[in-house]
Amino acid sequence: MASKADWPAAPADLTQESNERLFFSDHEWKTIDAATARIYPTDHQPGAREARVVRFIDRYLSGIDYIYASADGSGFLQMSGKLADAWRARNAAMRRTYRQGIRELDRIAAGRHGKPFAELTEAEQDGVLEELSGTPKPKPVTLTDTGPLGTMLQGVADDGMNFFDALCLHTRQGMYADPAYGGNKDRVGWEIVEFPGPESLADTNDCSYSVQEHFVQDCVWEDLIPFMREKG
Amino acid sequence: MNDHAAKPEPVDAVIVGCGASGSTAAKVLSEAGFKVVGLDRGPWLKPEDYSGDELKYVNRNFLWPDPTLKPRTVREDEDSPTELFPFSPLPQLVGGGTVHWAGWLPRPMPSDFIQRTLHGDLPDANLADWPFLYDDLEPYLSKVEWEFGCTGLDGADKYAPPRSRPYPSPPRPPTRFGKVFYDACAKLGINGFPLPHAMVSTAHKGRNPSNWTGFWNQYGDPTTTRSNAATTFIPEALATGNYELRPECYVTRVTTRADGTAKGVVYLDIDGREVEQEARLVLLCQGAIESARLMLLSESAAFPDGLGNASGLVGKNATFHEYLYAIGLFERELHGPLCGFAGHYISGGSMQFYETEEKRGHIGGCIIAASQVGHPINWNFPGRPLWGEAAKDGDRDFYNYSMKIGLILHDMPVESNRVELDPEVTDAWGLPVARITHKPHPNDVKMAKWQVDKNQEILDAAGAAKTIPVYLERSTGNTCHQHGTLRMGFDPDTSVLNEWCRSHEVSNLYVLDGSGFPTALGVNPTLTMMANAWRCSEYIVEHHANGNEVRLDKPRVEVSA
Ligand SMILES: Cc1cc2nc3c(=O)[nH]c(=O)nc-3n(C[C@H](O)[C@H](O)[C@H](O)COP(=O)(O)OP(=O)(O)OC[C@H]3O[C@@H](n4cnc5c(N)ncnc54)[C@H](O)[C@@H]3O)c2cc1C
Repeated sequence: MASKADWPAAPADLTQESNERLFFSDHEWKTIDAATARIYPTDHQPGAREARVVRFIDRYLSGIDYIYASADGSGFLQMSGKLADAWRARNAAMRRTYRQGIRELDRIAAGRHGKPFAELTEAEQDGVLEELSGTPKPKPVTLTDTGPLGTMLQGVADDGMNFFDALCLHTRQGMYADPAYGGNKDRVGWEIVEFPGPESLADTNDCSYSVQEHFVQDCVWEDLIPFMREKG
Repeated sequence: MNDHAAKPEPVDAVIVGCGASGSTAAKVLSEAGFKVVGLDRGPWLKPEDYSGDELKYVNRNFLWPDPTLKPRTVREDEDSPTELFPFSPLPQLVGGGTVHWAGWLPRPMPSDFIQRTLHGDLPDANLADWPFLYDDLEPYLSKVEWEFGCTGLDGADKYAPPRSRPYPSPPRPPTRFGKVFYDACAKLGINGFPLPHAMVSTAHKGRNPSNWTGFWNQYGDPTTTRSNAATTFIPEALATGNYELRPECYVTRVTTRADGTAKGVVYLDIDGREVEQEARLVLLCQGAIESARLMLLSESAAFPDGLGNASGLVGKNATFHEYLYAIGLFERELHGPLCGFAGHYISGGSMQFYETEEKRGHIGGCIIAASQVGHPINWNFPGRPLWGEAAKDGDRDFYNYSMKIGLILHDMPVESNRVELDPEVTDAWGLPVARITHKPHPNDVKMAKWQVDKNQEILDAAGAAKTIPVYLERSTGNTCHQHGTLRMGFDPDTSVLNEWCRSHEVSNLYVLDGSGFPTALGVNPTLTMMANAWRCSEYIVEHHANGNEVRLDKPRVEVSA
């Protein structure tokens, strides 16, 4: 059994451009493409559709071959042992969640409009997503006060998530993850939020990527910390 | 591959866990000529294995423990339901938590060691003094800062405790959000300063501080910028020729001899083969949850309630800190971008609110710090709209225009807050997992509220258009700081370990992680853990190994008014 330290990297046999379906049927692909386009819509800037979020999700659900990019981004780690088993089980559960979820989207769509989800107008699709989630479509963030909110957790994955929450999370991931994972095409997600991300994972691995220019370079500590002058 | 015979040669010391405390013990003992074996249940990853891959590290848990293989359960108290929850999921690999930590490396304050003396019998809590004082630990704090690597700015912390040496490495410049923090603090008369940080910024012991990527907290470091046990003390121990590191070895019990001393440990290697490693000394350094769990798993006819548990206190008085914070959202027209992706997590902090002030209505206080909001997928935005135009606009408008000021909650020890073996849930190896029972003490809730509100005030002064408070609702273990489960003290009836972190009952068993902390600190604990591990390891070398038992006098505390 290989230690994680020795997992080999398999060269990615899909080019960054390939739209080959690894898991979704054509219908499922179309449905998820449409749904993610409502979750992260296109406006004057690209959205989930242009970022190829559906491709990102398809690769994620395809099995355990595209879970961890190697550190230099040249391929994907081939897991083994108990961790591989855990990921296989996780993958099987998430596939079921998506298959059932897509059927549910179509069922709600058929009930409301007599057509599959992918064929509805955007407004109709939003209505289906509202029904699926059981809450109204989120309102814009305002700068008026909100109450206290729940805390941040670390080390929490998507285990046991329902379809709608998983779809929202995976859409974010497909928008903003490194393009090596099949989404964030041409780094459009990063452009939208003005994140000066790396050209490639290799650049983060050899640290040629740097955000040093986004520190404040010409600071004098004594100017920032009055105490340093006060005590003389 | 692990090709050890089923029964390796006995050694002087076996150390379970090769993280912050285990690597410190390994260094001190192996440099003193002890033959040492270090066992860690995780892999040994190297700098070249790391990258700035948010999905891999933050979402798909490449370093965080897999919660299906290594589950934990949590409940608030006996009457509450138990749920599966990855509570305080310290990563398990060589280097332990220091592999992907943020690396706040503050010193404790003298008051942290005398909570009982200062505050007496706080109702519903179990305050205790430490069996030694700040001054006893100070030399070791300096040793760790210099040997492990620490940046800091001398003379900048108005409340700094006494120190025998300056900082070994200067701080990196502030980030943009850090500068905003300093300016707001100056406006309010708060002493902001660059917190000591587990990294180096200048050449230090052959290290190469070239990581400016901003991929820091939760990411492995492809360089040696960060002070990480796996790239500092572990290689130094290996260089002595006296230390053998065995990764991928899961220790399942401590074995004992008829005379009640520890014989060694049994572990499962990567292929599931059971191996017994005998040693004259057994040192547990697994983190306070797992060390307590191993003590309980090691029950036997001679130790029916778990190893060294005659007091019944193994697992009790657990404290976990909690990270709480306030977020400020800024209007982009009025402020330049705050660049919350840049930096090394923290940039600017304060100790101004650390000591008790009666009028606040609670005892104690916390360290605070401004920090990165993170990378685009997971940036910290409580209440973020989940989907639609609002979701996209929220990211676009605020990702670069928000900042966070957090705190490390100094939670009170409560005896019923504890770690036990779960009666039902087992891990992927068939062993009972740790069940955490934890309910915040009322003082914790008040302290959190007061400090989060104060952090909001700082954000207001910085010009935030809106602030979002995140208060203490329940304990989630989100700091991965673990302490108290094997309390140290002089009295075997009220503590598990003595003042050298040796079991009161098992005379060659030491636990050198945070398990012994009688009370939590109001600062991040790891510097204190490592300094204490060094101090106790030195005791082992100088006294235990020579057959001497030296007991400390109870510290005489002089509390000035
Ligand atoms: C994301 C993150 C950020 C953090 N930031 C900070 C910070 O800024 N400042 C700070 O002070 N602290 C921080 N911490 C906490 C810090 O990492 C811990 O306090 C510290 O690592 C604890 O040291 P330790 O020696 O007790 O345990 P660890 O460093 O966790 O090492 C324990 C080792 O024991 C091994 N082990 C456990 N059980 C077994 C077993 N049965 N058999 C074999 N091996 C075993 C584990 O694999 C692990 O490697 C952070 C933690 C995390 C996760």
